[in-house]
Amino acid sequence: MTDRRRINGPAGATVPPIFDDAGLQDLTSSKGRSRAPNAIRKMYLKTGVTPSASGSAYLEIETSATPGVSGLKLSCSVHGPRSLPRSAPFSPHIVLSTHVKYAPFATKQRRGYLRDPSERDLGIHLEAALRGAIIADRWPKSGVDIIISIVEGDQDREASRLQGDEVWDMMNALSGCITVAAAALADAGIDCVDTVAGGVAALVQNAGEDSTPTIVVDPIPSEHERILAACCVAYLPTRDEVTNLWFRGDLPASDLDLYTSLVEKGIQASKNANRVLVGCLSETVE
Amino acid sequence: MTAPTIKLPAPLFAKLSPHPFLLRNLTSAADPSLPPARTNGRGTQDTRPLHIKASSLSHAHGSSLVRLGDTTVLCGVRGELLPVERIPQFRPVEGTREDVESGGDDGVIAGRGEMRDYDLLVPNIELATGSAPQFLPGVPPTALAQTLSTRVYSLLHSTGLVGVRDLRVWCNPKKDGEGKEGGEDVKMEGAEEEEEEQDGVLEEDRVVAYWVLYIDLLFVSFDGNPFDAAWAAVVAALRNTRLPVARWDPEREMVVCSRTERRKLDVRGLPVACTAAVFEEKELGEVGTGVVEGRHWLLLDPDRLEETLCREAITMVVDCSDGETRIKSIEKQGGTSIGRELVRGFAGIAEKRWQEVKKAMK
Repeated sequence: MTDRRRINGPAGATVPPIFDDAGLQDLTSSKGRSRAPNAIRKMYLKTGVTPSASGSAYLEIETSATPGVSGLKLSCSVHGPRSLPRSAPFSPHIVLSTHVKYAPFATKQRRGYLRDPSERDLGIHLEAALRGAIIADRWPKSGVDIIISIVEGDQDREASRLQGDEVWDMMNALSGCITVAAAALADAGIDCVDTVAGGVAALVQNAGEDSTPTIVVDPIPSEHERILAACCVAYLPTRDEVTNLWFRGDLPASDLDLYTSLVEKGIQASKNANRVLVGCLSETVE
Repeated sequence: MTAPTIKLPAPLFAKLSPHPFLLRNLTSAADPSLPPARTNGRGTQDTRPLHIKASSLSHAHGSSLVRLGDTTVLCGVRGELLPVERIPQFRPVEGTREDVESGGDDGVIAGRGEMRDYDLLVPNIELATGSAPQFLPGVPPTALAQTLSTRVYSLLHSTGLVGVRDLRVWCNPKKDGEGKEGGEDVKMEGAEEEEEEQDGVLEEDRVVAYWVLYIDLLFVSFDGNPFDAAWAAVVAALRNTRLPVARWDPEREMVVCSRTERRKLDVRGLPVACTAAVFEEKELGEVGTGVVEGRHWLLLDPDRLEETLCREAITMVVDCSDGETRIKSIEKQGGTSIGRELVRGFAGIAEKRWQEVKKAMK
């Protein structure tokens, strides 16, 4: 059933352009990582981009040196706190509702306007990460909406092989979402125990036959041969608490050290992002 | 004895009783000779600063970011291919490529029918991004979003901004390469011809596919006058659009695109939308008695507060790029204050607006 409230275009399905792969050898060669293993990409954060919202923020992660790889661009707006509708049941805490939506032009393939399951998943993770930071019982019977539009995804435009990168891209997107949402919440003046920021660490196998896997922070899938596992952490630095942990991948259960060091690296990435966040907020205050 | 005076800060006053607030701003009681000023200090004919930035996205074929005061719109244009087998009731284009492409205005007008019948332009406007408190996601598109999409859609077709000849993909690459195709393609062309000769049948030149342009607009921030901002974003993004050069691959029997070569869209003219709202002295919903014939003000480029207080609005789309002013469309709704004289005068205002937008486009 087509959505009649939007303009849907031609009845026959359209196909995204298929490219001629001749003369492509120079592009397919795996590009190495250009940063140190424990360095995150530069990011730019700004609050107050949507004046009509209670709070808003914009985050842009630096486009890496390799051409055709776009950096993540996120815009977040916060509406509330405001009273819940009459039909809603009583709540002693603030009710968080998070929406994460990819713009139709954000990724390699055009996205539709209806939210797909992966976007819902991102929303759930984001809510979990923020719930631990907000002092929820200061606003009983009220709700707040946190809306994030992913204006541009973190994807390699030229990669013709789809190696299941979406999963890892989602992790990078989530960590960005957490950071930008924390900035927008602060901009809206909603009390939090601390500023929460996201960080990603991954266990990667680099190009080369039998190199040992290494742990890097803020991975870009196209820069590595293979990603074995990754984890996204939402971390409160002054309280030393993790509010959300999302782990994905395939690791032997016997090697516990690997798990802890992966989470530690994630926390380290999150601390770096937090520094940017705090810098941005104190700049706004001045 | 005087009543105790309460001092309210301006934003609170604006929220509590918006109509008197705007009215007091427009009619300065202290000095009636002063020109009327709006709540944010601009005159009735002043527009908000316009900033246009093109090519800000990397996944789209064309994009633009337009800021009109506090209204921010992001537009991305993406081309996808529609093979002709998938078009129900497809009518093959008559004549050879040279005939069709070189046809003057007749070809353009016939092309418009083609564009509309096959639905090659797909504009959509998304407001539900938290751009304003009334636009929250999780609900179907509001009436405003739907009307805006439809208005952009019909204006795209009626102005003929994009010609269908840029959207057709032909079976054979152009013989007389107009400097668009590199040496490599010429070689391929030669190879193809050989093949055809081997088959014994020289295949006729025909249209094999069309580009469909998905034009998606995302409101990052909403503060009134959405149509002007959205239309400026559409025009800027289309002028920025570069579609990959597509050709028919007879071996794989599908259309393939070149990774390196891109071609600019030929965007005809520069239509600019100009909106104004009419603010009446009489408050909305106030019927009959009291003020009989109130004064009214024409507010150019209304913001969100003004839009909620005005019932009547006029939008004029003009194009002065040929040297003379051509009116592409006039839309007026909601009241009777704007008469024939005002509409005529409004064309002059729109002309001035055109100059401003043209400057911002560069």
